[in-house]
Amino acid sequence: MQETDINLLVGGPQGGGIDSAANMISMAFSLAGYNIYGIREFHSNIKGRHSYIHFRIMHERPKSLKYPVDIMVALDPDTLFEHMFDVAKGSKVVYDSAFNTFNLKNARMITSDTMIRIQDELAERNLTFDVKGVLDYFKSAGIDVIAIPFDKLINENVHDGPANRYYNTLGAGTTLALLGLDEDHADDGIKFAFKKKPKVIESNIKVIKAAYDYVKSSPIKVATLPTYPAMPRMLLTGNDATALGKLMGGLRFQTYYPITPASDESTLLESHEEMEFLKNADDVVKKAGLVVVQCEDELSAINMANGAALTGTRSATATSGPGFSLMAEGIGYAGMTEIPVVITFYQRGGPSTGLPTRNGQADLLFALNTGHGEFPKMVISSGDMEECIYDGMKSLNYAQRYQMPVIHLIDKTLANTMDLVPEIDVKKVKIVKYNENTNHENFKRYSLDTENGISPYGVFGKDIFWMTGDEHDELGHVTEDSAMRDKMMEKRMQKLVTADSEIPLEDKAVLYGDENADVTYVTWGSQKSLLIDTIDELKKQGISANLLYLRMFEPFPSEYVAKVLKNSHLIIDVESNMTGQAAKVIRMNTGINIENFILKYNGRHMTLDEVLKSTKNIMEKKTALEVLQEGS
Amino acid sequence: MIKMQKGVEGKDKYNFRNNITIDWCPGCGDFGIVSAVTQALSNMNMDPDDVVAVSGIGCSGKTPHYLNIAGVHTLHGRAIPYAVGVKLSNPNLNVLVMGGDGDLLSIGAGHFVGEGRRNSGVKVILYNNSVYGLTKGQAAPTLPLGEKVKSLARPNIMGKINPITLAMASGYSFVARGFSSEIKQLSSIIERAIKHEGSAVIEVLQPCPTYNDVNTLDWYRQRVYKLEDDKSWDPVVNKKEEDEEKFDTGYRKSMEWGDHIPIGIFYENNTIPSYPNRLAGIVPDYLKYPPALQDVSDKEGYTIVDPIKTFAEKDVE
Repeated sequence: MQETDINLLVGGPQGGGIDSAANMISMAFSLAGYNIYGIREFHSNIKGRHSYIHFRIMHERPKSLKYPVDIMVALDPDTLFEHMFDVAKGSKVVYDSAFNTFNLKNARMITSDTMIRIQDELAERNLTFDVKGVLDYFKSAGIDVIAIPFDKLINENVHDGPANRYYNTLGAGTTLALLGLDEDHADDGIKFAFKKKPKVIESNIKVIKAAYDYVKSSPIKVATLPTYPAMPRMLLTGNDATALGKLMGGLRFQTYYPITPASDESTLLESHEEMEFLKNADDVVKKAGLVVVQCEDELSAINMANGAALTGTRSATATSGPGFSLMAEGIGYAGMTEIPVVITFYQRGGPSTGLPTRNGQADLLFALNTGHGEFPKMVISSGDMEECIYDGMKSLNYAQRYQMPVIHLIDKTLANTMDLVPEIDVKKVKIVKYNENTNHENFKRYSLDTENGISPYGVFGKDIFWMTGDEHDELGHVTEDSAMRDKMMEKRMQKLVTADSEIPLEDKAVLYGDENADVTYVTWGSQKSLLIDTIDELKKQGISANLLYLRMFEPFPSEYVAKVLKNSHLIIDVESNMTGQAAKVIRMNTGINIENFILKYNGRHMTLDEVLKSTKNIMEKKTALEVLQEGS
Repeated sequence: MIKMQKGVEGKDKYNFRNNITIDWCPGCGDFGIVSAVTQALSNMNMDPDDVVAVSGIGCSGKTPHYLNIAGVHTLHGRAIPYAVGVKLSNPNLNVLVMGGDGDLLSIGAGHFVGEGRRNSGVKVILYNNSVYGLTKGQAAPTLPLGEKVKSLARPNIMGKINPITLAMASGYSFVARGFSSEIKQLSSIIERAIKHEGSAVIEVLQPCPTYNDVNTLDWYRQRVYKLEDDKSWDPVVNKKEEDEEKFDTGYRKSMEWGDHIPIGIFYENNTIPSYPNRLAGIVPDYLKYPPALQDVSDKEGYTIVDPIKTFAEKDVE
């Protein structure tokens, strides 16, 4: 039997409940023993503009998404226009029959440039500028269109509130019914999505029943999907996973200023200032809650986190590009005065305000070069949920151990990916504490009596010492002495050498796939799991490929990267930016010049189909640079 | 919470001044501020481990280096966020902020206002000499419109900020003004501010003998008068219903400038809960184990946070 592999897209107006629809579908499938992987795409807007969730559902844990989707649910007419080409022969499109008479010119929320693009596509195919035109196209392309009378079905079955309150549930229910998931699991999905609200559950279950009855009484043939025992898992986004990792890693003070796509992490932490502790945290362990401070701006956020670290607290902040730009000076201060602080940096489409709610990986070089002058900082990157969790813990450890700012890069795609994480290992990462000071009498905070550059850490409330962003002596007082300057510069930078020698290779770079392969991908961030899937897919087609996946950029594993790339044949750099920044870092550190690129900078996530297609174009030497364009 | 200072009874008191050479210009008002701070700390028998000094950039920024307590000389304008980070992660500490008028009211103005809303309990000492001394005498935000101090190319083209009215409008619960040559009064204001639970702003009028040839020592001496000399002056709010009138009186008084300049406490409101007390209502055991005093790992060094129970709403079972 063919293994279940469903690609699904649910689109609708922002604020119109598509998150809830996505939640119901995810929960229903999760409880039926499936795994789901989804990415949310949305506008910088509160209500009305088009947003969608792109999913994949499999029994095995999916690692990537692909187009065309098997089923598309349109909760607004915009979805039909915007995603015309995300479906293909054999796909099903579910929509509200009320859209049948909808004219494109009434789609107020489609921006004018997108409108022109859609009109051009319709005109090219001699189609009318309305839903009918799109439907004609679907029918001619062999796509099943399934019109559901939304209002009628809802009004006949529920009498609690306006019909449009249930559009999302009806859309989700119809989808589940069409996919052949049994109705009990659909009901379970509703119960889970609306936990603690029995009245809401009751009316939404009626809607689910209406959807299932409608599909059953229609001529559409549906095969029942198998179900499996459901293992306990956590449904997490990258924001959630990182927040969780930081809490586990001992975070007790977090600052932030609201910004997309970073503040979801901080607001989640804000709602968990009260933590639950493990049984092994007995009564002797001093435990309380986390403090989260919403600051007046990002200048305050970084410097307040720095201040908290001076009391021995493990502290961090989270931001995105514009906020990170403001933080540069504070990060330099932390480097100069050796403050352990973590900056979780959620990259979005830049430059400037750029694409506030879309993906980007264009801040790697900026993170590496943050702040004026030369000071040590670590730059690490995560690519999936597990890495968000454990790197969240490690980022705090690194900061404590090496007394420097640690920049943890995550991209918007990963921040907004939904994934079911099967198991969180609370013993995977040990908590590393700072190098404690034992001499409280004549304390030298910046003692030069150290081989590895790490001096004893000072804590306000326990030690008397001084700190300054000026060059300083061992006590922390200002100096401009030329010899002391050299010694302090060398002591600080030595810590990066120490970090490089202490941190295991697997935390810096990993080679996935066969050692000898025809194609070697290089990537970082959210493309990790996508490219692991790509390698599997190519293998089925008889092409051997591997992936050099980068996790740490400062210190950079130059030797290992050089060794892998020297043995590679066709190297392709895959990044969500325009200039191939990781390839530049590789060239800077190893001298190796990568010449083939698959890049995407339209702000949308990469998909399996487009990477496969581009790989073939590069292999056939049609091109050396492929710019990916999928995604609405 | 103020503990007794270390040391054996009968011996000399702890010296809050260290042996670092002060490099301010002779006649600088900053000397008076250092004296007032050390006198206040000595007078309170402050445990030197329980107090920290946080400064920004400029001449005022050097202050922590001259004090025998933990000190951090931070970035231009950012002393308040650092101080708040220290205070909220360990509310047992007394946190003093030393900043100039340019530091706190120009580049750091957002934090100055933000802290009024927070009321986290830091004590802000605002060194006001109306110029940027360390960069050779440019106009600071407290220099009046049209005034020409000696290194300005032309009379000041911008208006001035009144630090007292701004502090009151921002929500500070303790607002006062001192003068760098009235050390005894300044020291008692600092002491009272430290004992006050919420955040405080103490503006200190001071001469810059090198760059401000208008607001000189004599200029101030001829004009300042003490608010407390008027026996009916009572700026303290202990009941919410007193607030409107006392705020109004303090605010009007803060407008007085020119031939007569009031120094003393303009407003003290003890009815506004401090940020640590607000946090204590949200974060369990916050005052008992604030972030700085918590353990984050068990005996074997592993996490003590239960990820699944903490994020129970994400658990699919």
